[in-house]
Amino acid sequence: MPEIPGEGVGQARPPHYERRSTAALTAQLRSVVGEHLLDASSQSDMDEVALRPGGLIAAAAALRAAGFALLLDIGVTDHHPLTPRFEVSYHFLKIVVGGSSKLDPHSPGRFRLRVFPDDADPRVPSLTGAWPNADWAEREAYDMFGIQFDGHPGLRRILMPDDWKGFPLRKDYPLRGFDRRFVPGGRLGAVPPLKES
Amino acid sequence: MSAPTGLKPFENDPDVTLAAADERDTLIISMGPQHPSTHGVLQVMLRLDGETVLTAEPEIGYLHTGIEKQAENLMWQQAVTVVDRADYLAPLSNSLCYVLAAERLLGITDEIPARANVLRVMFAELTRIASHLVWLGTHAMDLGAQSIFMYAFEMRERILDIMEFVTGARMHQSWFRIGGLAIDVPAGFLDKIGAFVDAFPERLRDMRAILEQNIIIKDRLIGVGKMSAEEAIAWGLTGPSLRASGVNYDVRKAFPYSGYEAYEFDVPTHSGGDCYARFVVRLNEMHEAWRIVKQTAERFPGGPVVIDDRKIVPPPKTEIQHSMEALIHHFKLVSAGFNVPEGHIYQAVESPRGELGMYVTSAGGNKPWRVRWRPASFYNLQALKHLAPGNLIADVVALIGSLDPVFGEVDR
Repeated sequence: MPEIPGEGVGQARPPHYERRSTAALTAQLRSVVGEHLLDASSQSDMDEVALRPGGLIAAAAALRAAGFALLLDIGVTDHHPLTPRFEVSYHFLKIVVGGSSKLDPHSPGRFRLRVFPDDADPRVPSLTGAWPNADWAEREAYDMFGIQFDGHPGLRRILMPDDWKGFPLRKDYPLRGFDRRFVPGGRLGAVPPLKES
Repeated sequence: MSAPTGLKPFENDPDVTLAAADERDTLIISMGPQHPSTHGVLQVMLRLDGETVLTAEPEIGYLHTGIEKQAENLMWQQAVTVVDRADYLAPLSNSLCYVLAAERLLGITDEIPARANVLRVMFAELTRIASHLVWLGTHAMDLGAQSIFMYAFEMRERILDIMEFVTGARMHQSWFRIGGLAIDVPAGFLDKIGAFVDAFPERLRDMRAILEQNIIIKDRLIGVGKMSAEEAIAWGLTGPSLRASGVNYDVRKAFPYSGYEAYEFDVPTHSGGDCYARFVVRLNEMHEAWRIVKQTAERFPGGPVVIDDRKIVPPPKTEIQHSMEALIHHFKLVSAGFNVPEGHIYQAVESPRGELGMYVTSAGGNKPWRVRWRPASFYNLQALKHLAPGNLIADVVALIGSLDPVFGEVDR
């Protein structure tokens, strides 16, 4: 892993430039998350905290208080067959807007929360109350992985058809699906799953 | 109050509650997915009171092709080709983000040759101009200015000609590879770039002269879809849509990559926060992108365009004919690819639509374990349900155009 993230040759840049603003935050999050904490580490792209779903709301509120106002993304990774299986990753961007809406060019920083819910019944509290843009992101996480978001106002499929069965991005969902809707000859029906490459 | 019967198609959509419709004599209209001004396949469920929008709920997913799933099932280098196809108006921005993430996982970021970095920046900016030209043409056409579309596409054709000249493909070039570029530029390339750099400012000035102070454009855009800086941040907007609300955030400045810190360019912002502000910011961005292209052409360095590591980049064809070892390397890379150390990384680039991020996880194998997009236009488009209510139905067309969604990226 390179010490200094970034590309190009002959550039002079202090190491870990992306987390000038996050140094003290990890310690604060450790205490906020408390018993739900799994791990806190500094990766080559940003600092991150791994936790159980119980500590998410408190951690997100602490991040918001520290200026991480923009929720960049909610993504899910399926680590099947490892356990804990699902990782719900939240990326936050520090963006402070003053009275004149001027952004301090040195203020941007990123922070990641990795939430590991239960394998059999993956449930994570919803962030839609604090961040309106969590709505679609959580719907996509539900659509693709079947993660339940407690407190989401209308958790339903977003990309796949409403009547779709299964969660396509799970690792135990075959690349070509469990059944094909259309088979040669124009008939509708199920065929045995194609062999995976 | 009971729901009208026989309206099964919407029963799964709690946002479009037909039950509430009879209260104020409202009308529900499904705009799209075949509507010409929805820029692809967007369906917006509109609840109207007369011509005023009460609620708007975008329905997406019509262009879902499972790109994330496909990328997981291809080898690291192969996945560049499907990654290209997400944002089809700016394919090179997608692949730039992906190759940067993979290179950081491999730890070869600092080894990328200077020539490759300069060419990456040049083509990322050409892509930005080409993408904004499509936006300009279609947005203006939505607002009734038919001829601008032809001006914009004529200029875009010139960029696509350069792309074809260099990579062999007009779109979906798949030219950026892990470790550098697929091929070097052919002879005569700098002349073509020079001709474009010379011609573009005048054409941009022409288009600006027609549109920027145009009374119809101003009437249609000023004050429509106003968004404060705080709202824009809460809705997760990035790119020109965020900067039009006065927030000076640009990934190229905040988290530089590929040597962007070495170029001189400004980040255009606007304090208006409405559709007109987004319009002006994108026009100014084209000029800044042109400035960067000009600088890359001036400092065009020589040297190789790929790293000298036979475990990642196949050897040149001429060497294969003489060296057994080179043949073995080539065979191994084509049949089994290379392994990437275990880890996860978030890499973002400034795509024409905003912060395009990829959260790439490697399990140590020859295929990416997971490539999670942070699709900029997915989040930008989501703000439509916040912006549309209170506006007229004709303004929804202006709003969609000013958010500049690309459905390949929204639906992936």
